Amino acid sequence: MSVNHILPFVSTIIMLFFTVSVLQRFFVRRQPHFLFWGIGLAMFGAGSFAEAYLALAWNKWVFFAWYLFGAALNAAWLGHGTLYLLVRKKWVHAVTAILVLGSLFAGNLMLQAIPKLDEAVFTTDKIISEQYGTKALEAGEPVPAGAQTITTTYRGEEVTAVRGILPLGAPVRLTTPFFNIYGLLTLVGGAIYSAYLFWRKRVMPNRVIGNVLIAAGALLIGFASTLTRLGYGEYLYLGELFSAILMFAGFRFAARPQPDEVMQSAPAAAD
Amino acid sequence: MTRDNRTNSKSHIPKGSFLFEKVVPVALAVMGIVMLGLILFAAGVLLGIVKF
Repeated sequence: MSVNHILPFVSTIIMLFFTVSVLQRFFVRRQPHFLFWGIGLAMFGAGSFAEAYLALAWNKWVFFAWYLFGAALNAAWLGHGTLYLLVRKKWVHAVTAILVLGSLFAGNLMLQAIPKLDEAVFTTDKIISEQYGTKALEAGEPVPAGAQTITTTYRGEEVTAVRGILPLGAPVRLTTPFFNIYGLLTLVGGAIYSAYLFWRKRVMPNRVIGNVLIAAGALLIGFASTLTRLGYGEYLYLGELFSAILMFAGFRFAARPQPDEVMQSAPAAAD
Repeated sequence: MTRDNRTNSKSHIPKGSFLFEKVVPVALAVMGIVMLGLILFAAGVLLGIVKF
């Protein structure tokens, strides 16, 4: 068992504490941004747990959870929480409806992909992020060492592809950039914007630092996911772990109690 | 009075702080640029420019 097999367990435990901490705040304050953050963090945790499980054994429903919650949805739900915090307008509810419907649509696409999964290619010798996708090879492109290939018809052409668990061109994979672009823009953009507002007003240094840490953590996982897309999946779990630590630390930092005088100016700074 | 002064200094960004005067603005700018880069990459995947 390699370090990469252990990291998701650690990330899962951190995300569990983080999720409970955020949801506790939701149940006390009833503010929707805590709910969306809590759901997004629970998805992040589910993805980490699925990685940990898939390091030991195969289960198609765990893979379902890993891809849908861990790869596709969690950033968007986290970011939507930030949108609720920063923008108190009615159109945010319409975005919520789009997010929920889009998530259900992605879930349905993932359900449709389940019977087509190439389970035979799964191995516990490799982490799941290095074996989930089937990738068509360009003409003359060398086959990666140790990879299994398959010749299949794709978009009307016969292609050679590196075998992966999800079939070539699985529609659910096309949904992930939409969710991740939205998640990056709202979660990272929202944290940067919040940090900038507090910094410009010269108040609440804890929220400046907290938001910087949250933005850094969210960017880190985005960066690690991008590396996975480029074929460097071995960094994903380390990125997830640091991301979980940075975001949790940022949340704790930003949530520190403030003196009453300054708390009154906070909503103005956040709006 | 002493307590109030201490509280207020904690809730305002300290003047002349290297962290807040230099590190934070640079970090915010760099993170904004990286964020845009990642968004462009994801858009490239959507448009088929980046193969996966």
